[in-house]
Amino acid sequence: MSPILFWIFAALMLAFGVSVVVNRDPVASALSLVASFLCLAALFVGLDAFFIGVIQVLVYAGAVMVLFLFIIMLLDLKAEKRRHFNKLALAGGALVTAGFVAGLVRVLSLYPAGNQPFPPLGVAKLDDVRQVGMTLFSNFNLPFQTVGVLVLVASVGVIVLSRRELK
Amino acid sequence: MFPPILLEILVLVTGFVLLLAESFSTSTSKRSLASIGIFSLGWVFALSFFVSSAPAAVDAGSYWNFYSADSVSLLFKRIALLTTMGVLVMALDYESVLAKNIPSSRPGAGTGEFFILPLFTCAGLMLLASAVDLVLAFAALELVTISFYVMVAYMRRSHASLEAGVKYLILGALSTGFFVFGITWIFGITGETHFAKIALKMASVQHSDVAILFALVLVLVGLGFKVAAVPFQNWVPDVYQGAPTPVTAFLSVGSKAAGFLLLLRVLEPFLGVSSLAPKILLVLAFLAGATLVFGNLAALPQNNLKRLLSYSSIGHAGYLLMAVACVGTARSGFGSVGSTVGFYLFAYLLMTLLGFIIFSLVSTHSKGEEIHHFNGLAKRSPLLAFGLLVSMSSLAGVPLTAGFYGKFLVFAQAVNSGHWVLLSLGVVTVGAGFYFYLRVVAAMYWNEPSESAPIPVSFLTKTVITLLVAGIFFFGINPKPVLAAFQQTAIQSAKAPSH
Repeated sequence: MSPILFWIFAALMLAFGVSVVVNRDPVASALSLVASFLCLAALFVGLDAFFIGVIQVLVYAGAVMVLFLFIIMLLDLKAEKRRHFNKLALAGGALVTAGFVAGLVRVLSLYPAGNQPFPPLGVAKLDDVRQVGMTLFSNFNLPFQTVGVLVLVASVGVIVLSRRELK
Repeated sequence: MFPPILLEILVLVTGFVLLLAESFSTSTSKRSLASIGIFSLGWVFALSFFVSSAPAAVDAGSYWNFYSADSVSLLFKRIALLTTMGVLVMALDYESVLAKNIPSSRPGAGTGEFFILPLFTCAGLMLLASAVDLVLAFAALELVTISFYVMVAYMRRSHASLEAGVKYLILGALSTGFFVFGITWIFGITGETHFAKIALKMASVQHSDVAILFALVLVLVGLGFKVAAVPFQNWVPDVYQGAPTPVTAFLSVGSKAAGFLLLLRVLEPFLGVSSLAPKILLVLAFLAGATLVFGNLAALPQNNLKRLLSYSSIGHAGYLLMAVACVGTARSGFGSVGSTVGFYLFAYLLMTLLGFIIFSLVSTHSKGEEIHHFNGLAKRSPLLAFGLLVSMSSLAGVPLTAGFYGKFLVFAQAVNSGHWVLLSLGVVTVGAGFYFYLRVVAAMYWNEPSESAPIPVSFLTKTVITLLVAGIFFFGINPKPVLAAFQQTAIQSAKAPSH
C-alpha cells in the first residue's frame, strides 16, 4: 500500500473517530462511526487483507451501524443535544490522551523494529475466506466456540434487560 | 479418569438445558432452576477430583494448544465452582428483593435468567483457569465480563443497579480496550500468543525492552481494572454497592480470581528476562502500595456495610498484588508466589462469600445496609452473628482463621524478598483493617437490637454458612490441602523444563 494512501486513510479514520465522541447529535455520531469503519476497511485492503476489509464494510459499516442508525432515528434521541461539555472532565481527558499519545510516540521512536519497513509479504492468493475459515475451525476452534457461548450470553442479556415486561 | 474439558462442557450443557427449560416451562416459580444449578455444579465439583490432570504440551494437537489442566488450573476451577454454588444459594434468598426490582407481568417472572447466567460465568472462569494462550484467555475473560454486565444491571427498577451497570459496562469496555492493545503489542513483538512459546521467544530472540514494557503496562492497566487496583479502582464502590448482593459477592471473588490468575500467567514469560524483571516488579510494588493504603484507609469512614466490603475488596487486592510484586526476586520463585496468591484467593472466597451471604440475609430482612442495622444481631440470630464474626475476623486477619494464614504467607513473601516498605505498609493497613472490620462485630455484640424478631434462615443457607465457617477454621489451621496443589505443579514443571 502506498504510504500516502495509508496516511490519508489513517488520518481520516482518526478524524471521524474524534467526531463520534465530539458530536452531540447521535445521528451524526453514528454516521461518523460508519465513515471511520470505511477508512479502517481501506487500511485492511491496503494490507492485502481483502476478506477482513469486505467483512468490515458488510458487517460493521453495513449491517450493524445501519441498524444502529435506524434505532437512533426511531427512538428520536434529542436529549444529548442540549448538554454542555464539562470543562474539567474535558481537560482531564485531554491530559490523559496527550500523555498516552506521547508515551506511544516515544516507545515507537525507541523501538528499532518500529522504524524499519516490514519485509513485503508473499503475494495474496485471494483465498482469504478459505484461509480464515480453516484457521477458525481447526486451530482456533476452542476460542471460537467460547466466543459462541459469549454471544449467546450477550443475546440472553439483551432480551432480559430490554423487554418492557418480563414473562 | 475423565478428560478435564468435560467439566466445562457439563457446566455449559447445564446452562443450555436450564435456558431451554426456563423458556418452555409453565411453572411460575423459578427457584427450581437455581436448585438444579447448585446440584449439577456439586456433581461437577465432585467429578473434578477424578479428571486426569496433565499440563498441556506446547505442540500437542492444535485443539489443545490453548488448554492446560495442571493442578493449579484444577484448583482455580474448583474455586470457580464453589463460588458459583455459593452465589446461587445467595440468589435463592435474594429472590424476593430481585422480584420487586424487575418489571414483571406476574410474580416471580423474569428471575429465571438471574439463576442461569452464573453458570455461564462459571464456565468462563473455568476456561480462563485453563487458558495458556492469550486468545482463549481473552475470549474466556470476555465471557465472564459480559455475563457480569447483564447481572449487575439486572434490577432494572433500581436506579442504583442501572447506574452500576452503565458504569461497569463503560469502564469494562475501556479496560478491555487496553488489554487487547497490550495483547496486540505482545503478538507484534514476539509473533506468538501461547505463553510457553512467548517465554521461549523471550529467551532466544533479541528483543526491545521498551516495547515489551509498554505492552505489559497496557496489560497491567487492563487487568488492574479487573482486580480493582489503585488507580483503576474508581468504579468499584459504586458498582459493588449498586449491583444485586449475590452479584457483588460473585464480582468480588470471581472477577478478582480471574484477574490475578491471568496476571500471573501473562507476567510469567517476561519475568524470566533479567533486564525486564526489576522494572516490572517496581511497577507492581507501586500498584500494591497504593492499593493497600487507599483500600484500607477509604474503608475507615464507611457506614454502609456493602460499601465497606467493596473498599475491603480493594484492600485485599493490595495484599494479593504485594505477593505478586515478590515474584521472581531472590528467594521466592514463581511456584511459591503462585501458591501464596492461590491460597489467599481461596481464603478470600470463603470469608467474602460468608460475609455477603449473611449481609444479604440481614439487609433484606431489616431493609437497610448500614452498620447500625446489624445492632444486636447476636441476640436476634446467634448463628448469623457468629458467622459474620468469623467472616470479619478472617478478613481482618485474626489468627486461626484462613484469612490470617493468607496474610501470613503474603508477609512471609515480602520478608523473603526484602520489600520492607511494602511490608510496613501492609502491617499498618492490617491495623486499620482491624478497626473497620471489628466495628461491625462490636455493633452486633454490644449494641441493643432495634427489633427482636429472629431472621428466618433456610436449611440450605444454614448448611452453607456452617460449612464456610468450618472451612475458614479448617484451612486456617491446616492449609496443606490447598498449598499441595501448587507444590505438585512445581514438581511437574521441575521434571519437564520445557513447560
